[in-house]
Amino acid sequence: MFRSYALAPLRCVALALLAVFGFVASLPLMMAIGAVVTYPHVLQLVRRLTALSRWLAHTWSGVVIEPPYREGPVPAPLRRPDGWYEHDGQLFKTPHYPAFFLRMQWLSDDPATARDWMWLVLLAPIGGLIALLSPALVVAGVLLALGVTGPGRRALDDAGLIDLVAWPVLTMPGWAVLAAGVAAVVTGVLAGPALLRAHGRWVRTWLGHPGLTWWQSSGIGAWLRKGGHDTWKAALLLGLSLTGFAVFLLTVLLTLLSGGFGIAWLAYAIRPMLNQYRRLCVKWGGGEPMPEPYRQREAVPEPGPDGRYRVGRTLYATRDGAHRAGFFPWILGDPATWRDLAWMATAPLVAMVAVVPGVLIGAGYFGLFWQALFWPLWAVPFGLITDVWISPWYVWQLMTLGMPALNGVPGWLSIPIGLALGLLGVLLAGPVLRLITGSARLLLAPSRSARLTQRVEHLAQTRAEAVDAQSAELRRIERDLHDGAQARLVAVGLSLGTVEQLMDRDPAAARVLLAQARETSAAALAELRDLVRGIHPPVLAERGLADAVRALALDSALPVEVRAELAGQPPAPVATAAYFAVAEALTNAARHAQASRVGVDIRHTGGLLRVTVTDDGRGGAEPAHGGGLHGLRRRLATFDGTVALHSPLGGPTVLTLEIPCALSSPRTSTS
Amino acid sequence: MRVVLAEDLYLLREGLVRLLEAHDCTVVAAVETGPDLLDALLAHRPDVAVVDVRLPPTNTDEGLQAALTARRQVPGLPVLVLSQHVEQLYARELLADGTGGIGYLLKDRVFNADQFLDAVRRVAGGGTAMDPEVIAKLLQQPARNVPLARLTPREREVLELMAEGRSNAAIGQRLFLSESAVGKHTASIFGKLDLAPSDDDNRRVLAVLAYLNVAA
Repeated sequence: MFRSYALAPLRCVALALLAVFGFVASLPLMMAIGAVVTYPHVLQLVRRLTALSRWLAHTWSGVVIEPPYREGPVPAPLRRPDGWYEHDGQLFKTPHYPAFFLRMQWLSDDPATARDWMWLVLLAPIGGLIALLSPALVVAGVLLALGVTGPGRRALDDAGLIDLVAWPVLTMPGWAVLAAGVAAVVTGVLAGPALLRAHGRWVRTWLGHPGLTWWQSSGIGAWLRKGGHDTWKAALLLGLSLTGFAVFLLTVLLTLLSGGFGIAWLAYAIRPMLNQYRRLCVKWGGGEPMPEPYRQREAVPEPGPDGRYRVGRTLYATRDGAHRAGFFPWILGDPATWRDLAWMATAPLVAMVAVVPGVLIGAGYFGLFWQALFWPLWAVPFGLITDVWISPWYVWQLMTLGMPALNGVPGWLSIPIGLALGLLGVLLAGPVLRLITGSARLLLAPSRSARLTQRVEHLAQTRAEAVDAQSAELRRIERDLHDGAQARLVAVGLSLGTVEQLMDRDPAAARVLLAQARETSAAALAELRDLVRGIHPPVLAERGLADAVRALALDSALPVEVRAELAGQPPAPVATAAYFAVAEALTNAARHAQASRVGVDIRHTGGLLRVTVTDDGRGGAEPAHGGGLHGLRRRLATFDGTVALHSPLGGPTVLTLEIPCALSSPRTSTS
Repeated sequence: MRVVLAEDLYLLREGLVRLLEAHDCTVVAAVETGPDLLDALLAHRPDVAVVDVRLPPTNTDEGLQAALTARRQVPGLPVLVLSQHVEQLYARELLADGTGGIGYLLKDRVFNADQFLDAVRRVAGGGTAMDPEVIAKLLQQPARNVPLARLTPREREVLELMAEGRSNAAIGQRLFLSESAVGKHTASIFGKLDLAPSDDDNRRVLAVLAYLNVAA
């Protein structure tokens, strides 16, 4: 009992020191993560540090914290039938590397990992503040009490600490100062265990199983979190835009040295980064997607009659040479290249804005507010050892160095000012992020002409594919008719001709031939029926998409549940494409997925026909293996439609088709 | 037997009229559009209607819809539906009211005049005539119907013919079995599929179709 009170302030100091150590250690650890190989070891170290925090919370604060880490086996690498191991589209001879990557992914997917880092970098020091209250009171009390006595005051004077307590000691009666000092010490000691427990709970909030805390549940918590996230995002965009500016400077330099060739290479090399920037802007800033604005590279032209390739005004002897030479006109002739360069040149403007919330939060909250509160932790031992005493308001003093007007402001004011600046930073983070992402659109989004160019390219490609597909289809039909129904009708005609001759001479033989002719014509009909089904299913013509899919569902080997909400009919080509897509999906579900149930959902919302086919099979359907999916995507591309396949191992498999179209007249479907 | 015929192709319509008239049927009306068919059905109340699914003016399933409408007003009105293709979906809709007097055949079946007229008579008598292709599709779905797998091949054949709407005598003739042997098979089928046995041919067929999940 007595012991716990006596030890509490010391334990508090130890916890605060541990927090500072964790913060300092996190920097090299973060750098070590960059070297991918060390990633698991770094995480192991981080987990040891947080485990120590948990253990201390248990033994000192009496707060039990269960480790929150994800359990269960780490996913094993996939061994292919050919003996190789696959990971992320790469093949490996041994399971070693895939296992490493999977383990890394598994570790970093664990939400507790992110929370560990948050704790180390941001939250442990904040918790340290709670712990520090108790020793701070004890130290302040002791200093006050010392200041009352003559020798004590001299000792303080010698140590340079007299300024800290000079004001109360010199202005108030000695007994009052002594009483205040004793009261501070007693309060500090008495509050010690309670503060330790509070610290333990703080640790549990972050390092235990994630429950709902005010940080997650309250409006203010959400606001602070969002502000923090927006600040990080703005900082990342800031880094990318500064990289862009550096590339711009490099481009200018290279242009001066090489006479212009550098532009093309650098502008080409920087494109992936700019595309990433575009994606981030859309992801964080919202709004319409920002596709890549670049032109497609034209194919090398066919060689002329003299066997040489013409690029611009130059003739090249080899295809390779022509290909290489085509690079420059391709990059330099693309307006998007110049818009990119213009953006990179103006990037410092972005940087100036992007830096605002980070600077406000960093300088205000972490600099003025947090530094001042944490000052005793390091400055007191530092002063005792070196006899150099640093003011608690040193950050403030540094900041006002250049501004004499602010010298008159008392240092303690920097604490509320810092807090206010930090809150202002949080407040500004959202608008700043929106401003950055919005302004990026001015130059980085495809211009109207780039969009039109891309549209034309897309249309030309899909039209060519559609024409190809159509002519292939016609050839198939011609072949089927030629070898099937047509040939059979010829046979029927022949039989009938023979029957005509045999009728009088040999009625029995004529009858046999007639029966044969009838069978042949029935076979021709059956073939025609199958052919028609493959071209345009009659039930689709008679009933429309919803009922045609229902008919398909009834014929499927699996139980299929069809939900269709269509107020009208989609255009015939769209309906046909959707019908055959569902037919293919049902066949696949029955044949490959080992599914026991299939659901088909058809609806039309927001100018989009959406068809979803879900099966409860084993999943793992790979678009790469299914040429069918590729064909489907190509067929739907003609209508600007899209296909998405989601098929995790173990299922369920969900195939989603979306085709923009309008519904025609309200021919209500019977359900 | 008084027949109403609906078929939009002139050659086929004339051919069917000739075929039916040659076999003691009177074609009281031969129409070519959906609305005309509905009028003729309600005006003549024929013993049986022979109807093409696809009819003008929309060239969709006018014929089927007209037949279904007429049957809603005259329950049990015998209708034999002909089509270039057969769909379980349509079979279900035709059988949905459970009153019988329904036929659903591919147009090819008129090639065999005897069998076609047998189907016409069966439907006129309140029986059922389902196209073998519909029945084959139904029986091809083992995943949906486990007890079907317990039938012997012979029993499956009997079940197929029974589902098409044939009587024991007709099945026996088809499979070269005595009628009593067919009776034994049907009893065994009904036992395996857990259906209540019935002496009435028509009710038996509907029970089988209901079991196969086509009829109500």
